[in-house]
Amino acid sequence: MGPAMMNGSSLARKMRRRVTYLAFGCCLAFALPASGRTIAVSPAGPVRSIAQALRSAADGDVIEVHAGLYNEDVVLDRSVQLVGAGNVVIRGTGRGSVVTVAADGCTLRGFVIEHSGSSLMNEDAGILLKSRKNRIVGNHLKDVLFGIYLLQSDGNYIADNTIHGRPQLDYGDRGNGIHIWNSRYNTVERNTVYETRDGIYVEHAYHSVIRSNRVHDLRYGLHYMYSDDNDFEGNIFYNNVAGAAIMYSSRIRFRRNQFLHNRGFASYGILFQADDHCLAEENVIADNAVGIFMEALNESTLRNNLVAANDLALQVFTSSAGNIFEKNNFIDNLSPLELEGSQSNNRWNGSLAGNYWSQYEGFDLDGDGIGDVPYHIENVFEHLEAQLPLLRLYLLSPAAQSLVLAERGFPVLETPQETDNLPLMKPVTMDWQPQDPAARPPRRSLAFTLSAMLVVLSLAAFRWGVHS
Amino acid sequence: MDTRNVAIIASQELRISLRSRWVQIFAVVFAVLTLAISYFGMVTSIVVGFEGFTRTTASLLNLVLYLVPMLALAAATSSFCPEQGAAELLFSQPVSRGEVLFGKILGLYASLAIAVLFGFGISGFIVASQSGAEGVSRYLGFLGVTFILLLSFLCLGALAAVGSASRIKALGIALALWFLFVLFYDLMMIGLVGLLDPHSARAAVLLGLFGNPVDLARVAGLLMLGGATIFGAAGAALVRTFGSTGLAATILCLLNLCWSVAFVTVASRVLARREI
Repeated sequence: MGPAMMNGSSLARKMRRRVTYLAFGCCLAFALPASGRTIAVSPAGPVRSIAQALRSAADGDVIEVHAGLYNEDVVLDRSVQLVGAGNVVIRGTGRGSVVTVAADGCTLRGFVIEHSGSSLMNEDAGILLKSRKNRIVGNHLKDVLFGIYLLQSDGNYIADNTIHGRPQLDYGDRGNGIHIWNSRYNTVERNTVYETRDGIYVEHAYHSVIRSNRVHDLRYGLHYMYSDDNDFEGNIFYNNVAGAAIMYSSRIRFRRNQFLHNRGFASYGILFQADDHCLAEENVIADNAVGIFMEALNESTLRNNLVAANDLALQVFTSSAGNIFEKNNFIDNLSPLELEGSQSNNRWNGSLAGNYWSQYEGFDLDGDGIGDVPYHIENVFEHLEAQLPLLRLYLLSPAAQSLVLAERGFPVLETPQETDNLPLMKPVTMDWQPQDPAARPPRRSLAFTLSAMLVVLSLAAFRWGVHS
Repeated sequence: MDTRNVAIIASQELRISLRSRWVQIFAVVFAVLTLAISYFGMVTSIVVGFEGFTRTTASLLNLVLYLVPMLALAAATSSFCPEQGAAELLFSQPVSRGEVLFGKILGLYASLAIAVLFGFGISGFIVASQSGAEGVSRYLGFLGVTFILLLSFLCLGALAAVGSASRIKALGIALALWFLFVLFYDLMMIGLVGLLDPHSARAAVLLGLFGNPVDLARVAGLLMLGGATIFGAAGAALVRTFGSTGLAATILCLLNLCWSVAFVTVASRVLARREI
């Protein structure tokens, strides 16, 4: 008896609801054909959770979430705009991803998203994208394993998000900030990522544009794997293990990025491994242990970059060939080049101009701005050092310097002739002004006081010593 | 040993040394050179706009590595082998030979330290205009390394001087020592490493480092100025051996001080047995 009655009444209720929906749908179709309804979610009710709002939403609706804490995982299974108004925190259950976008054309804007699951295998993320053409804008993600995970997800726009990983975990246990897998035509811009595994990880992804992001204090700032035809521009990478690691990829074009302060024992500004036809222009690679590392980089062009104040500017394996370096500035690097192997097949100058090397000591009699003497990039000490790394302990020793001088006068050792035939006499001017985000303001007053104290102290001691 | 006697001899030595034109000229030359290096360094770093371990720091380090040992050796020989009669007069006073040795070294050290301090202070103004608080502490650390190097070569110079019969001989020995420690020692090590098999070469390089105060100062200075990563894989080996970068620099400085102690001890033995 009971069950039958219940069935009857629930059937009636369903019927009623359907009629209501139908009526409502007709109204919508006539009144708001394009923009959809707006559903408000607020801790004060009547709709208290995002999931509840989603259940009643249709494609094209706007769900406006008001300030408050929402303890739930959200699955966007229809094409809606989910918009945070004020300080809206979505705190996940700690299992799986906090927000999963399953429908095409969704918008997710203005949320604090935290507490994802911790499974690397299940790609537990702050925001998991499985659909196309979504806009993820202005969210703040923290305490998440992966930040934003694009899983076979094309044509998305990811902008102005901040992603903070789990610094208490080792690099290997963390997820990536923005993880793009098997996806195409995505745009990632003006995001800030720190303390994740890799900042932006791109695998089997094509035609993406990564622009003006700031990535710091993690493993690789930007990491391409098997991803061809991608561009990145205007990003700043600092305090990482490597600024960008470009691996097994073709046709990566990048310009005006900054790769700074990568200072560990195996740290690199840019790391190339098995890539070809890349183009690097107007980038700044400064204050790294190794500026540019290249293994099996082929047929690529590096032009107008500034490589400065690195311990070692270029570490080149002879598996790299057919690359051309022109109009780059190599300034104040402790060593300009370490070649791993006997002779590389790269061109250290273009047809009209080479590069500027601050160590170059040649002259320019005809005044055409190009030194009359070719520049041998790797000196004899650096050559010995490449074979016996421990010799670097004699870096900057008078002995090493006299060895270099002597070898220049009387070349007896067989050293590889990596030569810039058209070395520039003056640095190439840069058309843009890089800003070092990690630069601390100089403490001039402190240093000046100290210097003054040293001078006064020495003078006073001198007077006292002379007259005592 | 009476510390009062040592103090009297030290203050007299300080006075003589500071009044000598050589020390004054050295102070000015050292100041001008450091000033020039840091000025040109600043000019190029404005072009680059990035602070880091630059050629400025490297050039300053080089200046110290060349000049300071030479200054210390020259000052020690000319002080311990003065003109005819002066040494006899001093040693005939009622002070022990050890007191004379310690007093002279202390006085000389103070005077040369003042000269170095002056140079560092002057160029500090230029370095100050572009560096942060971190740069200031690195600069002070570098100053400390310079002081330690100065001491070890002063003691070495004293040993050379008390061990040689005449002033000319002492100067010759000092020059030879300068060439040995600044240049030949490292050249020999670099050559030796090329001959040995990789495993023993590794040990030779690390151990060889300890045999030369100039190397100890250079490596400690570079560790302070640029960190261990500056040495690449060799730096990693250093850190693994000593524990940390700071510890490595400290130990290298202590070893350098050990050299000073060793030189002074030998010098006092030699002096005690010597006919004057």
